Amino acid sequence: MASFELLAPRTVDEASAALRSLPPGEAAVLAGGTDLLLDVDQGRATPRRVVSLRHLPWRTLDWNQGALTVGSTLPLRALETDPDLPRLLPGLYEAVRAVGSAALRSRATLGGNLGRAAPASDLIPVLLALDAEVDLVGPDGDRTESVDRFVRASRVTTLRRAELIRSVRIPEPRPSAFVWQRVRPVNDISQVSIAAAYSPSARTWRAALGGVPPRPVRLTEAEAVLLGARPPPDVVGRVAEAVGRHPALVGDRRASDEYRRRLAASLFARAVESVARRAGGPS
Amino acid sequence: MTAAARPDADEKLRGRVVFGADLEEAGMLWGVLVLSPVASGRVRSVDLREARARSGVVAIGASDVPSLVGGVTGDAERPPFPTETIAYPAQPLAAVAAPTLEEARQAARAVRLSIDPAPVVTDLDTVFPEWPGPGAGGSSRIAGHVRARKGDVDRALAGAETVVRETYRTSGIHQVALEPHACLATVRDGRWSVRTSTQSPFGVREDTASILGLPEATIDVDGAWVGGGFGGKGASLLEPYALLLAAASGRPVRLALTYREEFLLGRSTLPAVIRLETGVTDGRIVARRVRLLLDVGASLPGRDFATGYSIGFLLGPYLTPTFEVEGYAVRTHKSPFGPHRAPFAPQCAFALESHLDEVARAAGVDPVAFRAAHLWTTGATTPFGQTVGPFGLSAALEAARTRARRWRAEMPPGHGVGIGMGFWSTGTGAGGEVRVAISPRQLAIVQGEREIGSGSVAVGLGAVAALRTGLPSDRIRVDYRATSLAPFDSGVFGSRTTAVLGRAIDEALTALSAALAARLGTDGPVRLMVAGDELEAVDGTTRRPVRELLTAEERRAEGLVASGRYYGPGATIDESVVEEGTFYGYRDYTGAAHVAEVDVDRETGAVRVVRYAAFQDVGKLIDRASATAQVEGGVVMGLGTALTEEAIWTDDGRLANPGLLDYRIPTLAEIPPIEVEFLEGFEGAGPYGAKGLGEPPIIPVPATIAAAVRDACGAHLTELPLSPERVARALKLA
Amino acid sequence: MSERPLALTLNGRPLRAEAVPDAERLLDTLRWRLGLRGTKEGCRTGDCGACTVLVDGRGTLSCLTLAHEIDGAAVVTIEGIDDDSTGTVVREAFRDAGALQCGYCTPGFVMALTGLLKERGSAVPADALLDDLGGNLCRCTGYVAIARAAELARRRLG
Repeated sequence: MASFELLAPRTVDEASAALRSLPPGEAAVLAGGTDLLLDVDQGRATPRRVVSLRHLPWRTLDWNQGALTVGSTLPLRALETDPDLPRLLPGLYEAVRAVGSAALRSRATLGGNLGRAAPASDLIPVLLALDAEVDLVGPDGDRTESVDRFVRASRVTTLRRAELIRSVRIPEPRPSAFVWQRVRPVNDISQVSIAAAYSPSARTWRAALGGVPPRPVRLTEAEAVLLGARPPPDVVGRVAEAVGRHPALVGDRRASDEYRRRLAASLFARAVESVARRAGGPS
Repeated sequence: MTAAARPDADEKLRGRVVFGADLEEAGMLWGVLVLSPVASGRVRSVDLREARARSGVVAIGASDVPSLVGGVTGDAERPPFPTETIAYPAQPLAAVAAPTLEEARQAARAVRLSIDPAPVVTDLDTVFPEWPGPGAGGSSRIAGHVRARKGDVDRALAGAETVVRETYRTSGIHQVALEPHACLATVRDGRWSVRTSTQSPFGVREDTASILGLPEATIDVDGAWVGGGFGGKGASLLEPYALLLAAASGRPVRLALTYREEFLLGRSTLPAVIRLETGVTDGRIVARRVRLLLDVGASLPGRDFATGYSIGFLLGPYLTPTFEVEGYAVRTHKSPFGPHRAPFAPQCAFALESHLDEVARAAGVDPVAFRAAHLWTTGATTPFGQTVGPFGLSAALEAARTRARRWRAEMPPGHGVGIGMGFWSTGTGAGGEVRVAISPRQLAIVQGEREIGSGSVAVGLGAVAALRTGLPSDRIRVDYRATSLAPFDSGVFGSRTTAVLGRAIDEALTALSAALAARLGTDGPVRLMVAGDELEAVDGTTRRPVRELLTAEERRAEGLVASGRYYGPGATIDESVVEEGTFYGYRDYTGAAHVAEVDVDRETGAVRVVRYAAFQDVGKLIDRASATAQVEGGVVMGLGTALTEEAIWTDDGRLANPGLLDYRIPTLAEIPPIEVEFLEGFEGAGPYGAKGLGEPPIIPVPATIAAAVRDACGAHLTELPLSPERVARALKLA
Repeated sequence: MSERPLALTLNGRPLRAEAVPDAERLLDTLRWRLGLRGTKEGCRTGDCGACTVLVDGRGTLSCLTLAHEIDGAAVVTIEGIDDDSTGTVVREAFRDAGALQCGYCTPGFVMALTGLLKERGSAVPADALLDDLGGNLCRCTGYVAIARAAELARRRLG
């Protein structure tokens, strides 16, 4: 356990100043702490100063005509237990429930998960499939960016110095699904995951692959082939096979490349079937 | 609906019980071990000067040990710190202590290590890609070599109708007791005292004395409550280091492992390659050949127990007329092999049961019928010439078959049902002693063990005494003494505690009865009965309050004390079949047959256990609640071995998954409904014929799951764990 | 070393500790600074749940919580479990269901189950409750008796 100074600013400006006044890498942001404090314990992070976001007014969840805005420091558990989430964004509900354990979710946050940008994040693939955007605040002002652009690689995002994630916005309810494969169902890292969603307004599909380096990726070729809310099974099958040949599906300690390819194809088909079923149900 | 709660339940539910990790003494220092960063190498120097320069820090290395122990020499093969060769990753090279944990960690980081890394050997298949040739036993890579033979296996196999040859591979697994190793040591006036979380206080005393070279009489071990052991806390691990730090500092020293260190330093089951060859004619086994390569990590040559002990479980509880078994304990750069729960037996049962199923299918015989036809019954002769004692496995198998038939008839299409079996020889050869003490109001069992969770101590000892005396449980208590004050016992392991200490209690109570009879002036036996607030001694029409039968001194002290002991009879084998090494006889044959229904995802290979039933040969049930709890716990632990647990090493010999996220034990979310049934009547060594249950329940589990998976989807798996990827791969080949 | 006073309500009583380092974990504050060792240290990585306590009524992994992050909060540990009526029901359910062996995971499980029942109420579906306990590990019991205790507590509260 290293030693650091803990600050808990009450405004964004104070937070930015606290982050900026030390050389890069010497100040770290604390949301839920489930990543940062592990990094500190295991020597991956040695901040001199930790800036806690607990006083900032970002533990929020708002539905506004179907669009969902989630404050970045809202514990995932609060998102998971929102009564409208399973109905309006079932894929996000499935993804949130997949994160760690309920105990971890009482502290872990959406902002933290995005900032950590883990290749096996269970939330990022769904956020990609839902066309989510991040609202960022910083010394140079506010900006908005798609999650797709924001997440670059493990622990790498487009966050600028002293910039913070304020919230994540999902533009509309979508029939959606998140399927994953791991060795153990609770509290394990996904070997492969697939998020899929159908936009009723744009009549387009979105799909993303998770669990592969360097980051979850949109399956843009697959998206282009799927037409209509209920694509025929043989089309889905062919697209699934193609997904199984995606170059990102490499082998590592968690899974061989062969197994990942097999999983990606199977899970893709299941995710699309799930979305199609949800799209066909009562709105 | 609710049975009486365990005697230790209330204290545990209020967080009042002191485990090793909770120990504290005024003025104590916090100890930290300095661990080798490489798996193999030569130590050039361990420089403690920078660490020692830090305020309040005590730091010790190999060169400090002789003066700390007063010049004696311990076991030269097991020095606390190596002077030359690093034999395994994270091997302790030095130790520090400081007033706070953070200061101790900083001091540990300030220790300057100069090491020449050396090539690392981690993988059995790299050391011996083929079965070792003759003369391999002399290699420095071999820590042990065993061989036994009966009859002419080559000829029998050549003449067999069908021969099946297979290779199985099993993984290293870890005990994962929730409480890591922890102890607190004090050295004062020539007395070396340690309070520690251990399954065997006397074992720690003996082991520590051996390592440090001190007389056992100068070492006192006081066991704490134990947050799980499962074989990992049966010998000393941290105690020698804590004692050395205490001697160096003159202060009490707390030394506990982080959970990461628990994985790195723990000693447990390691990987194995098992080659099985079986010949069958007319549905009967004519010959078996067993070849075991067991990774024993950095175990010392000549000190391997595992190979000779385990290899018998690869012959299993089956009649085997002609056989040849050979095993090599292979040294690699890993922490030394240590006992897990039923050490290596679940892996053996997995390989054996799966192999026999394959043999049966090749011979055109129903697999379960095949196994049943060869199964030991009471009075059968084992391959090593022993006579099987009362053995309930056939009865358990019959019950399992009935359940399996019903489940198969009920299950949805695509599911599978499988049966697996296992047997265990409990460690009742490891003896022990107790004292019983009667005072005006209570009967005390005075002993040296500690409760590790199974209830064998906190529940079982009192239960045996209650059965024998008829006293209610609130009149019986268990007293815990340190090694300096306790009667000797071997330890809480090997499923022997209830049997051995139970028999010792029985003998002590007999002696107590005789002593009371003498004081009553009657012939005995004397019964103890409750009379209001106190106890009475009763013999026929003579009855006196116990208070009146005790001397004043006895009333001031423990009461009237009587002793009992049990040292199990020898278990001798037919040595004429032994060609090399040491094999071990069996005693107290305990069987279990399990049934599982599973669902297998044909695409991902994920196995879901739908329901599970365990039929356990128990001799006599002493306490149904804790016996059921042992079976439930053993089954779920076995599910981990079967499906998700494996230690993974990098090419340079480091453990890649030393944490509870990547080393996956079962969670509440995955457990199936588990039915437990006991078969009484096949008497064991314990009081009233009881058999120990700590280990038997885990043994059949991986075999049972493998059989169910095969039934569900045809995949024949030859590797543990049955991870989704392995199942998917086997499905592709099926 | 950066440190400052910490104020909490602990098991119903106001508490003020001086000079608590900024980096100190709630787990260590409870166990070593305050001597309340009923809360157990297991993995310290958030994977076992042995360190679970209630913070403002919610089950919280104290190994991954900085003490100062919860400044001003109401903390309940196993030593104060009976200050909470749900906690008492859970503790008695564990006792009656025989849901412990070595007891090391027990305080964490009792606190986690108490937190979940307070959060979701006794009408929570039984299997959802068990799923939510997936972050608490036990190696002795195989969870069978613990599941029984959870169901018993749920029914007794309903």
